[in-house]
Amino acid sequence: MAQKLKDTILNPIFKGNPITVLVLGICSSLAVTVQLKGAIVMALSVIVVTGLSSLVCSLLRNTIPNRVRIIVQLVVVALMVILVDQVLKAGESTYAIDKQLSVYIGLIITNCIVMGRIEAFALGNKPIPSLLDGLANGAGYGMILIIVAFVRELLGSGTLFGFQVIPQALYNAGYVNNGLVILPPFALILLGCIIWIHRSIDKDLQEK
Amino acid sequence: MNTNSNVYTVVYTTIVVVLVAAILAFVSQKLGPAQQDNAKAETLRQMMAAAKVESTDALYAKGNAEILSLYSNSIDEAFTIDLDGNRTGELATDKENIELMNGLKAANKAIKDGKCDNLPVYRFKGGISVIPVYGAGLWGPIWGYVAFEPDGTNIKGVYFDHESETPGLGAKIKDEPWFREKFSGKSVDFSGKPLFTLGKNAEADGKSNAVDAITGATMTSKGLNAALNVWFEAYSKYLGTAAESTTEEE
Repeated sequence: MAQKLKDTILNPIFKGNPITVLVLGICSSLAVTVQLKGAIVMALSVIVVTGLSSLVCSLLRNTIPNRVRIIVQLVVVALMVILVDQVLKAGESTYAIDKQLSVYIGLIITNCIVMGRIEAFALGNKPIPSLLDGLANGAGYGMILIIVAFVRELLGSGTLFGFQVIPQALYNAGYVNNGLVILPPFALILLGCIIWIHRSIDKDLQEK
Repeated sequence: MNTNSNVYTVVYTTIVVVLVAAILAFVSQKLGPAQQDNAKAETLRQMMAAAKVESTDALYAKGNAEILSLYSNSIDEAFTIDLDGNRTGELATDKENIELMNGLKAANKAIKDGKCDNLPVYRFKGGISVIPVYGAGLWGPIWGYVAFEPDGTNIKGVYFDHESETPGLGAKIKDEPWFREKFSGKSVDFSGKPLFTLGKNAEADGKSNAVDAITGATMTSKGLNAALNVWFEAYSKYLGTAAESTTEEE
């Protein structure tokens, strides 16, 4: 049992990572990874949404009419997303980040990870493992988001969390921020590299 | 119980939807005031960024309470005018009940219909008048604030915001400090047509009422140019009088 719980938590982060292995949630990982701050808020929001919607759907799993289960799931996910958005808007320090993330918070609802985990896991498992599965999948997504955002903010703007980290002396010597890194295509290239590294480390993921 | 019967399905979905609606209504009511405070502080930040009360970075580093008191301390008076430049009302500026004109969309329509009597003017200390502008960008509304020097024709600073312009292209009207800085020191030619030009190679003629548009943001720039001209036109009588009254005072 303990082993199973451990797998529930660790599998989505490494071996079954939603972005690098299941290739879900690519769209938002290209869009919100220009800056670390935004990526972290987005990651936390997704963790909350996946965790709570998996928990609620798991609690309801024996009562949901099978024919309308997708709609019921959608309503639950939408509720969580709107709640997260409202809370971010109400926070004094998160308001600006919410504005910066704009539509992408609302679009968590279309993130395949959320619905995918409810369908694949929460509807067939008890509430606590479902909650953990949801949180872990959100964390697996968030981890990749933060790695990508780290590289993009560092190379694209020369900053981390908005603070200048590349010294002025380097700019004086002729270094320039890479404009391509700011644009979404680079995030895709970077994701490709992460998937490549992931696969060469984990031999199980390689096709024969 | 048969969870697949039609009656069960209808009752179940009805309950779920009503429950969710109730939760959302409750949360929205609880968080509404905090959200409005944030939105108000954001508007004040943008206004003061345009008027250059402090640097944009410094304004965004301040909390809501600090922003409210900074605004109260740096504003002289706020009032509304009609299209002829006559005052039609006062707006409160004391810290506890700062009033803002939020219906820019309605005002924008009223200007186009030629009968608007609630155009806001925010006069900061030192005679700086801040006026709003509002218009349509590529994907949604764009708006902003333009601060005029006491003479009523020279622009001190601007701040633009948007709802959903393309990040990296149209969104630059808000994101890029250098774009905002281009407006500082420019002037509006109230006797000329157009009053102001934001367009391709607009600066090449050496005119003082022109700013180069952003590459790759053609539609947003066109929208912003239209918004600026519509709102400058609406304020032309008032800003014209402002110019005269300063001359009299001197």
